[in-house]
Amino acid sequence: MQEELLDAVFDAVMDGDIPGAPATVQAALDGGLDAETILRDGMIAAMTRVGELYECGDYYVAEMFTSAKALQAALVVLRPMLQQSQVQATGTVVIGTVKGDMHDIGKNLVTMMLEGAGYAVHDLGADVHPSRFVAAVEEVHPDLVALSALLTTTMPSMQATVDALTTAGLRERVKVMIGGAPVNEEYAEHIGADGYAQDASQAVALANALMQVKAQRSA
Amino acid sequence: MNARERVLAAINHQEPDGIPVDIGSTPSSGISAIAHYNLKHYIGRPDWPTQVYDVVQQIAQPGDEMLDRFGIDVIDIGRAFDDRPEDWYDITLPDGTPVQFPTWFKPSPQPDGAWDVFNENGVRVATMPLGATFFDQTCFPFIDGYPDSYADLPQIMPLIHWAGLTHSPWDHAGDADFWEQLRARALALRASSDRALMIVVGCNLFEWGTFLRRLDNFLVDIVTEPAQVERLLDALMEQHLKTLEKVCAAVGDVADVCRFGDDLGTDQGPFMSPKTYRQLFKPRHKILTDYVKQNSTMHTFLHSCGSIYKLLPDLIEAGFEIVNPVQTIARDMEPVRLKAEFGRDLTFWGGGADTRFTLNRGTPEAVKDDVRRNIEALSPGGGFVFNTVHNILPDVPPENFMAMFEAIDEYR
Repeated sequence: MQEELLDAVFDAVMDGDIPGAPATVQAALDGGLDAETILRDGMIAAMTRVGELYECGDYYVAEMFTSAKALQAALVVLRPMLQQSQVQATGTVVIGTVKGDMHDIGKNLVTMMLEGAGYAVHDLGADVHPSRFVAAVEEVHPDLVALSALLTTTMPSMQATVDALTTAGLRERVKVMIGGAPVNEEYAEHIGADGYAQDASQAVALANALMQVKAQRSA
Repeated sequence: MNARERVLAAINHQEPDGIPVDIGSTPSSGISAIAHYNLKHYIGRPDWPTQVYDVVQQIAQPGDEMLDRFGIDVIDIGRAFDDRPEDWYDITLPDGTPVQFPTWFKPSPQPDGAWDVFNENGVRVATMPLGATFFDQTCFPFIDGYPDSYADLPQIMPLIHWAGLTHSPWDHAGDADFWEQLRARALALRASSDRALMIVVGCNLFEWGTFLRRLDNFLVDIVTEPAQVERLLDALMEQHLKTLEKVCAAVGDVADVCRFGDDLGTDQGPFMSPKTYRQLFKPRHKILTDYVKQNSTMHTFLHSCGSIYKLLPDLIEAGFEIVNPVQTIARDMEPVRLKAEFGRDLTFWGGGADTRFTLNRGTPEAVKDDVRRNIEALSPGGGFVFNTVHNILPDVPPENFMAMFEAIDEYR
């Protein structure tokens, strides 16, 4: 019975059933499953599978987006329960599109995919000034800072943001990851970021890898 | 061979006497105003006007002297409009570059440094934030859902900045004698130039969905609400076919290439599965290309950014003869692979120089190497028109532009 309830959550997210997903979570809660199990074995498992299907070319951006939206709908029901039972997030992320750049669709997809992997994500939106990243890091003490840019003309704002974190003495406290059309691994190294991901699915893998590095360092 | 014969030979998969070259025949194969300004100063021609004919992307129309100097083989029919000095006015861009805008385009500077554009009813349709070099769409008419009726679609479409602030000749589409003018001016251009002629019609389908609903919503719609999507596409098709009918009647026997647009790819792959493309878009693309083939002598050209490798077999079946911009750094889009698999069926119009990493940030030598490699992969047997991968953006140094042409000249 409980397995079926969990499968229903998994399927709703996998299939991108946006209107149906919240009810599957409610049914799972009503059926006695705890919030953490629903998150881990239902939703995170489904988004992991979505990422795999995207990587191997069975899912496309459209399907990934739809699953991510279904996950968002499901999280509306689950989030209060997670807070109530004090479930630990996989990690905490501050994310935003850098100063001068209004493009946020890629960033929004990364946000949803990170939430789908169990991260607590603080989304600062688009056109975010370096000082706002600094303020957010001081306020929420994230593990990761994720920067997005679409334009070759705005990618220098990534450098400015990394520099602002350094100046504020916060750089060592966080891992910085970047993504977006004009940037690559080389650019990440060049500006002193900790990693680059080429798409939303890879961004989750990168976040997980950076969390491990962080854990090892503090161990 | 003259320029036109060179382009037509390439499209017909015959090897021309030298590779044909396009800079500026479409708003996705041109040069940005800032790059144009920098180039003209670098080569000692500060007297060339920098006329921003595509105001959304801030793209300059190359003048006749520039076409001659760089041996450009194809031009846009749109250049036959806005041909009087009084059609333009001087303005300085936020970065300090002096250019000319068409007189109808009057953005409003905002306190935060952005330039906003309002339509005649005061609706904010576009904005260029401080530091940006093109205008973003700000109005998404169907963002909250699909309408019950599409009767007023023709009035709604100009709320999208791509349509409301469109490039020539379409900035004159409201003129009473526009279609007669289009034919007369196209014929005059044909008589005065031996270059191939392009007419840019757009007729985008997937992209119009993203313009009206916004990309994130429309991506979900194509998965979850295909019936609503098809209703919208049918309403769009009605408008597009009306346009094509008039275009074919006016210039179908004058223009050489009819340029459609529909960005179907991301860096990592198509937005949608081939199955979804086949279900929703392919049959409609086929109707559009069939119409052009049956009612004109024009060749069919599709502009689609991104990795579209997985869709190419279907795009060929949908009737497209030419693809652009051939985004070579996207996944699966390596020139050698594309040529081997699709070179018999398609003309690659682009892919000549990478604009994201090399042309803008590489050394002149790296640019030349990139250009040579791409030409050698794509040009054998024809089926190739040289063009950069999309527009030459403001960050391209003139030295690299010149290096690109030095390498091109080795092949013509």
